Order: sequence, then C-alpha cells, then structure tokens
Amino acid sequence: MTTEQTEQDVWVGIGTRVGVTDRAAAEAGVRAAYRQAGLPEPRALVWCASPLVGTAAALLLTTGAEGLTGPEARWAVPEARRLLAAQDVRADRPAGAVSVKEAVRVRPWRQARERLVARLGREAWSERWTVASGQSWPRLDALAGQIRVAVADGLAGRGAASEGARPAVGLALFDAVPGQQDAVRLAGLADDPGLAGPVAMARSSGWWWPYAEVAVLADLPVVLDRDATGRLHGVDGPALAYGDGFALHAWRGTAVPRSLFERLGALTVEDVRAAPNAEQRRVLLEHFGPGRYLAASEEAQLVHQDGTGVLWRLELPDDEPLVVVEVTDPVPEPDGTRRVRWLRVPPSTRSAREGVAWTFGMPAEAYRPKYET
Amino acid sequence: MYRQGDVLLVRVAAIAVPASVTALPQQSRDARGRLVLASGEGSAPVHAVAGPGRLLCGVGGRAEEPGQAWLELTAPALLEHERHAPIELPAGWYRVVRRRGYLPAPLGGSAEF
Repeated sequence: MTTEQTEQDVWVGIGTRVGVTDRAAAEAGVRAAYRQAGLPEPRALVWCASPLVGTAAALLLTTGAEGLTGPEARWAVPEARRLLAAQDVRADRPAGAVSVKEAVRVRPWRQARERLVARLGREAWSERWTVASGQSWPRLDALAGQIRVAVADGLAGRGAASEGARPAVGLALFDAVPGQQDAVRLAGLADDPGLAGPVAMARSSGWWWPYAEVAVLADLPVVLDRDATGRLHGVDGPALAYGDGFALHAWRGTAVPRSLFERLGALTVEDVRAAPNAEQRRVLLEHFGPGRYLAASEEAQLVHQDGTGVLWRLELPDDEPLVVVEVTDPVPEPDGTRRVRWLRVPPSTRSAREGVAWTFGMPAEAYRPKYET
Repeated sequence: MYRQGDVLLVRVAAIAVPASVTALPQQSRDARGRLVLASGEGSAPVHAVAGPGRLLCGVGGRAEEPGQAWLELTAPALLEHERHAPIELPAGWYRVVRRRGYLPAPLGGSAEF
C-alpha cells in the first residue's frame, strides 16, 4: 500500500524529527534571520544539547540563574555556563542580554502573513493555514508546551520553593523560538523569502534563543515517541530525550515523573490515591486497573445490582467518577471458581444491566441474551 | 440474542438486514475452515463458527468494528471458544457486536509554568 504524504505530514515530520542536528544549516539560518531583520549577525553561537540547558544559558545571559532549586538546575546551570565560556561569552553575573525575537521571528512572520493576505485575500490565508498546519499544529503546540513545563519543573521545581524562580524561567522560555516545533506555524508561509532564516532553523534545529550579539541554539532530541494520535507516549522509557540526558516521561500525552513511570508495573492503591492531579491519576488508573482500584477502595458505593452484575461508583477528585459494573463469568474456571471482571461504563449509568448493555452499544431494555456462556 | 464472553450475536430477520450489508466484503475462513468473529491478541483463543455461511465485515474488514459485522448461517452451527461453552446457533442472520470499553472524556485545562 502506498500512502501519499501530505504537506502537513512533511511539516509534522520536521516538527518531530530526532537525531543529528544539521548545525551548519542551522547556523546559516540564524545568520540569515538576523540579516533579514537588519541586525548585525550574532558574535557568538552557543550550542546546547537540550532546551533545558538552552534555557539555563538564556537565564545566565539575561537575569541570572541564582536561586534555581529545581532538580535539574544543579547540573544544567554549570553546563550552560561551561558552554557559554567555551564561546567566550561572559556570564558570571546577570548580563542583561536583549532578546531580538520580535525582530527575527515574530515581525517577519506577521509581515509574511500580511503579504499573503494582501496578495490572495483573507480566505486564501485561512485555507492555506488549514492545508499546511490546520490539524497538526495543536498537537505540536501542545508538545512545545509540555517541553516548557518540563524545563520549568527541572530548573525551578514545583511548589512554594519555586515561587521566585518560576517566573524568571518563564521569561527565559518566552525568549525561545521552538525551532522544529515552530515548523507547523511557519508551514503556510514557508515560501516567503522574508522567513527564510526561521524556516531554515525549523528544518534543521531544536529550540533557539535570539539575543543581540549572542544566539543560543539547542540540538534536536534523540528520542521523540508519540502514540497514534500524536501525543507524547513512551512505553519502555522516556517519550522525549535529549543528548545531555534531559528527558520527559509521558503516557498518552500526560507527563509522568520518572520515579513514578518506573513503578507503573508495580503500583499500589496508595500511589493512585496520592496522584497530584486528575491527569496523572488517569495514567495510574490505566496501569493499576480501574476495577482493581475500585475494589480496594472503601469509599466505593454499591449503586445497583441485578442479574447481569453489580454497579459500583467511586467519586474521584477533579475528575468524572469511576463507574464500573462487576460481572462474573457464567462458566466456572477448571478449579471451580468464577472469574470476576470489571467493566468501566459511562458515569451516567444507573443500573448494572444498563452498563452491560452499553458495552455492547445498546439500551438496557434491548439487552436480553437468550444464552450466555 | 446470544452472548459468548465479549461477543454478542443479535439475531436479525432476513428482511430487516440492510441491503448495504450484502455489499460488504466477505471474510475468508481460518486455517481450520472457521469464520472468526473476534480474535484475541497473538495466539489467544478466538470466537469462531464452523458451519456453512458467510461473515461480512465493514470498515477495516474487522469483526471488531461495532455494527459493522454480519453473520449469515445457512444451517445451524456451533459458536465455539476454548474458554467458553459452545452455543448452538439457529440458521439465519446475526449482527455481531464486540464488547467495547469506556474511556473518560478528555480533561480540560492547559499546561502552566
């Protein structure tokens, strides 16, 4: 079977590429972007292996990296300092570098869009955007958002201790152009010569931080695994990883701390109960088994019971309730016991029969099997 | 209506079978000459019918697609599965429904830093 690759597929491919960065092409792209903006080319190009270290370098170049208490800060900041020093960029005190992102990426994109609209009209632009990026940009935008959160967690940490540092990290992330994940935003305008620099960056490199005199650039990831719907999804290890060890574990799009990810096969009821939010609880429930969790929860309420099974309900904080029908196999196992199964059904279910019927796509009154084995 | 584990067969009068069903692709039989209504993963046991008739499946050609699989038996036949007792099925038309699972609706909210 042959599948025709659409324009959008090509850009998604760029946005999710892994492996060796074409640094020469990226450097040419950065220099072109500065020239097109009417700025002098950067004096130094500082390469980092990940957006984590890139953000640390951006912090050192701007407001300083003091007070970062995140779990990754203790290695990422010295690494960023070493990489800056190797390019003779001083960063021993807050250097006050000025971002030129507006000039090299934001304004050229706006102008390119205005040119296209002036030439072909608003409708044509809308159509162009739909063909080139329409369905794929939310996923890649979400991916960039997850990377931002992981970087902020890594450098500033979470909770009260991170209060001072998190806004500073947020500002350094705001200075970033997300390189390959910028691809879907550039796709519809990629033919415009005014965007040649940013497009070359998207095609060849990871994230980048354009400052006056210095540009910080990050390599592509070495691992980027997604599920069939495009969400970050790693089965055996990190879903996203960079050459310097910065990595993100995720299950069907939900980020999961590494320590928890490594225990997904051996979870306890307490692990599920202690989940910090609904997203993580869903991942844990999927691995632990919703029925098993319900069976182990004293708070579960018996809602209804009939010849088809028992309907249970358990309220979950910040999430829809867990509603499950407990059914028993009509045929005993060789040892005489009957296998019990748990069928998750919609929260609106009011009787066991309605739940079982739903699993076969029919209303309760229509579900009347003559024989069951 | 007959249920064997996760497979439900709903008897349908021949006159009520939509005309479009007969245009669906006909599934071939397995190595043992059976019509496989639902297969497990890998070498897991299957729900299968050994008897004269045909199995018609819609999108993707999979019996798993809800409402898309139809079985026509031209003589009584046994529905078999290694772990379940066999069920004797009268000749006629059946809609084949495989059990589905519920997935909660996506959560709202957005990433924050």
